[in-house]
Amino acid sequence: MGGTQTDAVLIDKGQVVVATKTPTGQDLLTTLRIVLEHTLRDVDPARLNRMGFSTTMATNAIVQDRLEDTGMIVSAGPGMDPEWFAVGPSYHVVEGCLDHQGFEAKPLNRAAVMDAAGRIQEEKIKVIGITGKFSVRNPSHELRITDWVGSSFSHVAMGHRVSGLLNFPRRIVTTYLNAALHGLHREFLEALVHILNEKGLSAPRYLLKPDGGTINLDKSIDSPASTAQSGPAASVMGALALDDCEGTTLVLDVGGTTTDMSVVLNGTPLLKPHGIRLGPFQTLIRSLMTHSSGIGGDSEVRMTEKGALKIGPVRRGIPMAMGGPAATPTDAMITLDLLKTGNRGFAKAAMEAVGGPLGWDAATTAQRVLKHMAETIAESAKAFICGINSQPVYTIHEVLENQKIEPTSVLIIGGAAPQIAECIGRALGLPHRFPHHHGVANAVGAAVARVTSEITLQADTERGSVIIPEANVENKINSSFDIEQAVNLGRELLARRAVRIGAEEKGLEISITEKQVFNMIRGYSRTGKNIRLKMGIAPGLIPEWKRSH
Amino acid sequence: MIRAARRTGLVFFPAFDWAISPSHPEREERLLYTQDQVLEEGLLDIDGIVEYRVRPATYEDLRRVHFCVPDEAAVTTESHLISAGGCLVAADAVLNGEVESAFALVRPPGHHSRRVVHGNRGFCNINNEAVMIEYIREKYGIKKIAIVDTDCHHGDGTQDIYWHDPNTLFISIHQDGRTLYPGSGFPNEAGGPNAQGFTVNIPLPPQTGEQGFLFVMDELVMPLLEKFEPEIVINSAGQDNHFNDPITNMNFSARGYATLNAQLKPDIAVLEGGYAVENALPYVNVGIIMAMAGMDTSFVKEPNYDRDYQNQPPEITRNIKQIVEQLRGLFLEGGLKILPYEEGIIVERSRDVFYDTDGIHERQHEKIRCCRQCAGALAIASTSNLGQHILAVQIPVEACVACRQVGLAWFEEGTRGAFSHVYLQDRIRGVYESI
Repeated sequence: MGGTQTDAVLIDKGQVVVATKTPTGQDLLTTLRIVLEHTLRDVDPARLNRMGFSTTMATNAIVQDRLEDTGMIVSAGPGMDPEWFAVGPSYHVVEGCLDHQGFEAKPLNRAAVMDAAGRIQEEKIKVIGITGKFSVRNPSHELRITDWVGSSFSHVAMGHRVSGLLNFPRRIVTTYLNAALHGLHREFLEALVHILNEKGLSAPRYLLKPDGGTINLDKSIDSPASTAQSGPAASVMGALALDDCEGTTLVLDVGGTTTDMSVVLNGTPLLKPHGIRLGPFQTLIRSLMTHSSGIGGDSEVRMTEKGALKIGPVRRGIPMAMGGPAATPTDAMITLDLLKTGNRGFAKAAMEAVGGPLGWDAATTAQRVLKHMAETIAESAKAFICGINSQPVYTIHEVLENQKIEPTSVLIIGGAAPQIAECIGRALGLPHRFPHHHGVANAVGAAVARVTSEITLQADTERGSVIIPEANVENKINSSFDIEQAVNLGRELLARRAVRIGAEEKGLEISITEKQVFNMIRGYSRTGKNIRLKMGIAPGLIPEWKRSH
Repeated sequence: MIRAARRTGLVFFPAFDWAISPSHPEREERLLYTQDQVLEEGLLDIDGIVEYRVRPATYEDLRRVHFCVPDEAAVTTESHLISAGGCLVAADAVLNGEVESAFALVRPPGHHSRRVVHGNRGFCNINNEAVMIEYIREKYGIKKIAIVDTDCHHGDGTQDIYWHDPNTLFISIHQDGRTLYPGSGFPNEAGGPNAQGFTVNIPLPPQTGEQGFLFVMDELVMPLLEKFEPEIVINSAGQDNHFNDPITNMNFSARGYATLNAQLKPDIAVLEGGYAVENALPYVNVGIIMAMAGMDTSFVKEPNYDRDYQNQPPEITRNIKQIVEQLRGLFLEGGLKILPYEEGIIVERSRDVFYDTDGIHERQHEKIRCCRQCAGALAIASTSNLGQHILAVQIPVEACVACRQVGLAWFEEGTRGAFSHVYLQDRIRGVYESI
């Protein structure tokens, strides 16, 4: 689902057999009902064996400020003032502190916790979020608060379940969003399931996440915030499905209002090192490395006083050829007969109005508009790549390797891909191509993306504990615990977690993305080992799709 | 969104794959817990705190400062080049105007490295600050620079490098050399014949606390800087004055470091020592970053502060007061006796240098040409028990014609002598030769 349009595809034996485009209405469920009717008109519901959705429900709720009132109980300890991170209508900081190793530096103040919970209840708030600093190193404080006050609320979200990454302010925000979206997400799921059942659609259902992976519809209730902003990921996964993306591929999705960019390295999309931003909130939710630039087919084209073309970031409406209010790149395409839609006379008039003051005719103006659009996108893409390449590294090995992302080709998707691909390829100096079904790539992506999951493991033999916060696991270990045992434990728990949220157990592709072992030394003798692992199932395509290609 | 009052650059290079030896304090995880704390605080998300990627320094960057014996490759590893390079990245960020100040959180450290380098001294091979300063002078044409070294150990390497330079004010605050490595840094060490009064050593007694350090800042360091009027202030930000540090005896704190930093407002801070890797560095570094960014640091505190921090005893307070009075007399009130060296004469001195980490003994004989126009031609003959016998000649930045001729003559003469290597560092032409 997009802001203006909802795309859907029906895939049979690796082929797109039906593709539809439907305007997105006020009510998402109504829109979904219409889309299903359009797309599955001649299909026996029992023949479907999988359904994938990418929705804007969570994003809209955040952007339109429709979040449920949520109480927060936060324990912090020294550092930045925790009041700086206050979020929601009822935010309470309680005494209690863990250090970076997870040792308790100050016990939780039970009276303060009870008092905070009482005040949240007085405000008639039914859901809470609980977040502690360094809770991913030791979740005991969050668990204890839940134990003390959880039963007074209809739902409790805890910080350590969100992600194993360190970042207290983002953990607070992400916990808050998971709590504040819980009720809305539940209602949405129930309504969606109702519609699907009504239509006899009982195949497994998946929701897309911003990291390009999917999660079983039912299981998404534990982390509703991680289903927000999946649109750009849908496009990238679609690009990957429709094209092998060998080498280093710059993927550009040229839409109506924006152009979304991303990079695929030999078939695997790049991920962001931190979490995604949702409206005003910096979260810990994993996402693909994407960048959105405010230029698209429906962006406003104008001439500045100095006689320079300017495209975007404003969108006034549909193109003039369709009866819209302002000249757009789409009008340029129609003028040049690259696109056969709308009223060509209106499109030409739009171009003349823009280029007239400089004495350009409609065709010249149209050509310059497309060239300028391609150059603007190319510039933005170069800045995006440059940003990726200036990310810091922390080992000598990485400095010396100095691996840089240098795209070897550009893949363009979106409705206008054929009209603009060549211009963009030229502006970037890269071989360009666009896939078949470029206009519904996002729907293809939502349909064939596989389940992703990741875990963060930290073992501290001095503390005698191994912890995987996302999986809610903390085990005692002895001093002989080593990296091999850590990897095995990580694999086992990751696989279990992935299967629980909808992955097929057979053929899971697990990759280790970070692996560090440090000796912990006091004075001159070793007191323990500190093992850190990050493992995950990278975004990719479901085996059925791969088999049929 | 939280915003930094001052835009601050951060160059973070923990070198997770490098150690002097497996159980040496300068080892892989030294900045691991600092990174944990910085990440968990969310400091990198703050609007106005910008993290930069390191790059390695080049041998030419080192040659503006050091004479490496027999050559750069023999006494450095990649880690030293990257650590120094991190400082250059910080310098560029500040001097290009991208940020108002920057902190290079890099390792290994550098402030015990002297001009001549035979190996590792006090965990240091390459003097990161000096390499950075000479890069700044070369690239940005900046002249007057002040260094405030707040490491618990005397910054003897930096002192050695700037001993003759009247354009660099070097101030070192450290634990009294009678009680700690390297055993130097007394008030009478005040600079060479051409730079008398431009080296200021402030030895403080063991147990000096927040009160003592901040008193020294108010009464001594800030007035000295005001008088010198530097274009740039650099902080050699060692963190081993901390009450949790295992190898020193001072009583400073994270909040103290943050307050000191907020007052000093260095343009660039560079990490030096500090080996309480779990219970001091994470908090001190967070405090320094926040202070540099102009943020409120009143919540920065070690978890064991209330239990373990002790105010300095009254006799220490009295002792510090006496030291400060003595130093104010010497350096602020004209008490320092400036010896009137005659222009053009050559002053010589001999010294023994011990490299504790590598167990190297070095004997130096140094000649400086007394000069009122420039820092003076410098020649160092150095012999080590590794069998090296070298001559190193420096013609300083903006050297006068006479000093340049003397330097070239010394070099020329040296090439005809019995040295294993003869080096020339000619900052006028930017030429570095070794024979």
